[in-house]
Amino acid sequence: MSSVTQEHPHETVARQATADHLNGGYPVIEPGHSFASVTDKISSIVLTRRTPLGWFIGFAMAFAVVQLLMLSIAWLLLNGIGVWGNNVPVGWAFDIINFVWWIGIGHAGTLISAILLLFRQDWRTSINRFAEAMTLFAVACAGIFPALHTGRPWLDYWLFPYPNTMGLWPNFRSPLIWDVFAVSTYGTVSALFWFVGLIPDLATMRDRARHWFTRTAFGLGAMGWRGSARHWHRYETAYLILAGLSTPLVLSVHTIVSFDFAVSIVPGWHATIFPPYFVAGAIYAGFAMVLTLLIPIRRFYGLKDFITMRHIHNCAKVMLATGLIVFYGYVMEAFFAWYSSNRYERAMMYDRITGDYWFLYWLLILCNGIVPQLLWSKRVRENMFVLFGICMFINVGMWLERFMIIVQSLHKDYLVSSWGNYSPRFWDFGMFFGTIGLFVALIFLFIRVLPMISIFEMRTLLPEAKVKEEQPSQV
Amino acid sequence: MATHIANSYTPPAELARVQRLGFLIGIALLVVSVIAALLVPIPGLRRQFFHSYLLAYVFWIGIALGSLALLMVQHLAGGAWGVVIRRVLESSTRTLPLMGILFLPILFGMHDLYHWSDSEAVRETEMLRLKSAYLNIPFFIIRTVIYFAIWGTLVYFLNKWSAEQDETADIRFAKRMQTLSGPGLVLFALTVTFAAVDWVMSLDPEWYSTIFGILFMGGWGLSALSFTIAVAVLLANREPLRGVLLARHFHDLGKLLLAFVMLWAYFNLSQFLIIWWANLPEEVPWYLRRVTGGWQVIGVSLMIFHFALPFLLLLRRDLKRNPRLLSIVAVLVIVMRFIDSLWLIVPELYKNPQRPYEGHFGLSLFDLIVPLGVGALWLAWFAWQLSKRPLLPINDPLLDKALHGGGGH
Repeated sequence: MSSVTQEHPHETVARQATADHLNGGYPVIEPGHSFASVTDKISSIVLTRRTPLGWFIGFAMAFAVVQLLMLSIAWLLLNGIGVWGNNVPVGWAFDIINFVWWIGIGHAGTLISAILLLFRQDWRTSINRFAEAMTLFAVACAGIFPALHTGRPWLDYWLFPYPNTMGLWPNFRSPLIWDVFAVSTYGTVSALFWFVGLIPDLATMRDRARHWFTRTAFGLGAMGWRGSARHWHRYETAYLILAGLSTPLVLSVHTIVSFDFAVSIVPGWHATIFPPYFVAGAIYAGFAMVLTLLIPIRRFYGLKDFITMRHIHNCAKVMLATGLIVFYGYVMEAFFAWYSSNRYERAMMYDRITGDYWFLYWLLILCNGIVPQLLWSKRVRENMFVLFGICMFINVGMWLERFMIIVQSLHKDYLVSSWGNYSPRFWDFGMFFGTIGLFVALIFLFIRVLPMISIFEMRTLLPEAKVKEEQPSQV
Repeated sequence: MATHIANSYTPPAELARVQRLGFLIGIALLVVSVIAALLVPIPGLRRQFFHSYLLAYVFWIGIALGSLALLMVQHLAGGAWGVVIRRVLESSTRTLPLMGILFLPILFGMHDLYHWSDSEAVRETEMLRLKSAYLNIPFFIIRTVIYFAIWGTLVYFLNKWSAEQDETADIRFAKRMQTLSGPGLVLFALTVTFAAVDWVMSLDPEWYSTIFGILFMGGWGLSALSFTIAVAVLLANREPLRGVLLARHFHDLGKLLLAFVMLWAYFNLSQFLIIWWANLPEEVPWYLRRVTGGWQVIGVSLMIFHFALPFLLLLRRDLKRNPRLLSIVAVLVIVMRFIDSLWLIVPELYKNPQRPYEGHFGLSLFDLIVPLGVGALWLAWFAWQLSKRPLLPINDPLLDKALHGGGGH
């Protein structure tokens, strides 16, 4: 008991060393930084440094692709969803595949910002702002698809339960309606969480801005933040509450997306493993996207001090773990299709492996199951080129997974007379690539106008912030 | 500061009494039940005995295997929360040899337990014929041997290196245990899944559910965690761990317990909702048998006492920091883990093959005595193992952080 009352500095260092030993020896922030240098480095990207030419080129390219999205939407609204390739029996195709793909990508942001905060994982600090922005943009891209797939998007408000003279009421027994609530809640909470986390940094930016317009803009966002003790106290409470609210969303959103399929009786859709397997897949896809974006950005903006190898390693390990859960899901689907001895289940699985889409199935196994096994190796996790390549495989693999689940399961169901094939058309691809353009363009804007790393949270990682640590509580 | 290095954390002497008493009670209860099952002339009593025995087996091996999983997770993630309970987890895993021996009676009871083991039935039923490449007696035995070989290897090396770490204080062993735990967890997930299919799911050979393996991993993890918390509280009350296991340790364990309770409910709700909604004739009778004819009382009690009550209690911070109250919740969860296993297994005994969608409630004295007998033996073995090593991994690189550090992770 009495032995814990003294804390000697050198012991803290020794302990840190052993703890780091098991973390691969990488710190969460490179040594040599001070409060001022952290603030300078992050804020200068937005305020003082010249916008690099590469930014303009990248943004222009992404913005050009956004025009494709606009064109695709305009053409769709003019002609109706007949311009897409989906038709009976494959009534759901790119629209739902892309919706699920995008919404899944968002999950990494919520996991990093909420769950890792509650677990006191300090490595989340330098990537949470970025990952949350990614979540918001991914949810925005996701929302476009079902909103347009209704066919008459100007009547989408019918999805909400409100008293009206038409006697319309949504069917609450349908998971599609739960989706409306799950996704809109997700979007709202993510936006709030992101914005609340930004407030102290917006105040920093306001105080450092020289141009009156920048100052006013950041000042409006900072909502009168002055950094008083009371502000900080309320801020911390609000942030924790929002983290608590976001945590169930990591599980619930993709669980409900999985119910869209699993509560039906279509072989290939109706599987009890879907909820946890979809959630794991979402986190998997999300971390792959986080690394896809972070690896180039940290190199381009020279942020290796803040986004260290520790972050890269940890993201890669989360990817490996969730990827194994996803692969486990594939194994279970295949095994139980056989074990069920149900002829429709068996036929579905046999068709998946050998049928019209066999090539995509095996490509999926390669992308999501085989290639990520390279992440077991520490050397692979340290090689940015290889790691980036693996992330691209996973991005493709997670898209293929949804393609297999949705299209392959639908194209041959119980009625042989209505079997049919699916092939996407130009406007399917137009919408899909268009949303990728929108996503990338939004990311470019974000890193240009907002601090992409949380300045004030990074400062708490510095040794100066740890001088007066609280004594461990005793019982 | 230096005191804890000199402290060898010798286990309390009372463990020897637990060991002796558990052994005697266990043998007595099991002998009485075996004699009763063999000699009392009630039709179906032998079948009843084997179902009760399977229930006992699945419940107790769940604690051993769940501990193995938690141990590997802890080695892999390197959390300080696990260092203080590592010796309890390790002792639970070392009961695996006992569970290996105790598996033999299930082999004698296969015809009473598993309809698919009846070759006559396989010839007559198409569904069983289609599954017979997997569900047959030789392959069942081979698979069980493989499971135990894999679990045994993991248990052997994790315990061996942990003991060597105690002696040599070499950081190499921490690294080795970490390296083994990654592939170990992959193997664990696969073996537990198929063991759950073999031992429990195939009681109704027609029924299947793809989440079943995950359900067992979550359930057994929860069994192990609540058992470990209960033991840790007992140890925290006496030397040498008095004043070493502190409120913040129990706070972390309590949070983990809350997470597991929620996961258990999440997995079960997923399975139930999907099967109930689709209402397919090959799936839904499994649930109908469990929510009619009296079993619904057990089902609802699971919702309340396995999820709602522990969930609400564990939300409280002061409860998680109070070892005595936390142990009460842990014991409640252990009891409900048993009820959950009962709800999975016993309704199959009372199934009417002509009307499989009807539940028929029934319990036997065996459902209490046999699990208590197996449990007493298991606890005796556990106490024996726990008394063999220091109660904390004295040379673990994370121990100092776990005992004195601020952040628990």
